[in-house]
Amino acid sequence: MNIFKREMKANRKSLIIWSIGVIFMVASGMGKYSSLEGAGGQSMNALMADMPKSLQAIMGTGSLDLSTPIGYYGVLFLYLAVMAAIHAAMLGSNIISKEERDKTIEFLLVKPISRTRMMTSKLVAALVNIVIFNLVTFASSVGLVQKFADGEEVIGDISMLMGGMFILQLIFLVIGTAIAAFFKNAKKATSLATGILLFLFIISIAIDMNEKLDGLKYFTPFKYFDAKLMLKEGGFEPLYLGLSAIVFVGLTIVTYTFYRKRDMNI
Amino acid sequence: MNVIEIKNLTKMYGKARGIEDVSFSVEEGEIFGFIGPNGAGKSTTIRTLLSLIYPTSGSATIFGKDIITAAPEIKKEIGYLPSEVFYYDNMKVMDLLKYSASFYKKDCTKRIRELADIMELDLTKKIDDLSLGNKKKVGIVQGLLHEPKLIILDEPTSGLDPLMQQKFFDLLEKENKKGATILFSSHILSEVQRLCDRVAIIKDGRIVTVEKISTLKENTYKKFKIETNSTIEKDLFKLDGVNQLEQDGSTISFLFRGNINAIMRKIAEIEIANLWIEEPNLEEIFMHYYEKEE
Repeated sequence: MNIFKREMKANRKSLIIWSIGVIFMVASGMGKYSSLEGAGGQSMNALMADMPKSLQAIMGTGSLDLSTPIGYYGVLFLYLAVMAAIHAAMLGSNIISKEERDKTIEFLLVKPISRTRMMTSKLVAALVNIVIFNLVTFASSVGLVQKFADGEEVIGDISMLMGGMFILQLIFLVIGTAIAAFFKNAKKATSLATGILLFLFIISIAIDMNEKLDGLKYFTPFKYFDAKLMLKEGGFEPLYLGLSAIVFVGLTIVTYTFYRKRDMNI
Repeated sequence: MNVIEIKNLTKMYGKARGIEDVSFSVEEGEIFGFIGPNGAGKSTTIRTLLSLIYPTSGSATIFGKDIITAAPEIKKEIGYLPSEVFYYDNMKVMDLLKYSASFYKKDCTKRIRELADIMELDLTKKIDDLSLGNKKKVGIVQGLLHEPKLIILDEPTSGLDPLMQQKFFDLLEKENKKGATILFSSHILSEVQRLCDRVAIIKDGRIVTVEKISTLKENTYKKFKIETNSTIEKDLFKLDGVNQLEQDGSTISFLFRGNINAIMRKIAEIEIANLWIEEPNLEEIFMHYYEKEE
């Protein structure tokens, strides 16, 4: 309990900054929708359709209907998801590796707690942090999308997208913790975690650009919860849910196993 | 009863040596010195005992329990002061100490105040703003606040001024009288000599000897220097156990190990002007052990 409290306090400031960032992101993104709406949404759709496919992929539009608020939000969602993933990966690697980086591990592990318990407290604290981040994104999204929706029901769709984002956050959180648990070099853990994230994101864009790469879609979690797919199908693809579960459980096991067995770097 | 028992403990960092085949035990209630130069493996041994790192081979027990499988339980009764103290910089001293205390299931507030009083530590300051010596004081309070049965100190005096060192030693002696066992690692021999009952000497990752401080001194030579009124034949002192016999005018000096009566009888035979018999200090004994190994 004490480690949990300590971590909540230590991460409070960063969580507030990230929350403000995501609110700003949603607000400025949806702000652009209002100007788009004024210009007539359909013309925007037509304009996007004329663009080369690679450009569409980078913008994340694809088959989304930009004339509806939720369709437009679907484009924005990609960037919210990337932001949430960066937050989760950095949080995950940092919450573990900072003790070695700051050499406070010699203080912490001499206390009467096992490494497993310490890890659990930290994971729970990180989990609460990403839940808060998710809820902030959810609340600001619902608030702002509804403003443009003219009474249309959007909470359901946004809840679904946020559900996908949460699973994405979980995956990147454990990618972060697994890297920090596996590698002895605490200073490199966070940059490695964000590097992997960037790589996976670029793959997901590349898949959108080039149909030949479609087979790679199982290797990047960003493809698991694609707004285009979720909004069209109205739910999650069971295969991707299964893959997410395997990755999450696998990396959680990696986190615990390696952290318990390896020498602390002091 | 042995509080610490180390059996053939070896720790390799890849191919690099950490410690090799280290064995010794620390009895309940004693102050045990652990001496050796920098890089000899003192910290490696201690960190292995605390399961911060794991041994390559060999085993050790503390309070009769295995250091790896029973680690969390053992640590309830261990107080540890690392050679360099690192804490969460943005915390206040009191918050850090309370955080530290929260891991032990007892109320330590009174003890924190007591210790901070003795060590003259300001509890309201931020860790970030503390000098090296003051951080060390935080470490001392932090290591002793739960009244541990075993206190492990890794070069504890670096950064402390002599006055504080004195207070710290008094504090340790008090804890020892109350029943705490102390493992004291250092490369400064005088402090070990002052405080410890027994010592283990470690060199290049191996234990050279484990000895009572008193035996360590007994078993070694004494330094003799004799000044005579008239020049005498130095061969008079060519006895068993005499070493480095030197003559400089009317003074003769040598090292002697053995029954001191034999020497005293020889000295009684001659007319002397002055006589010095010196105990070698631990420093010299220590060097002796080191040179012997090379």
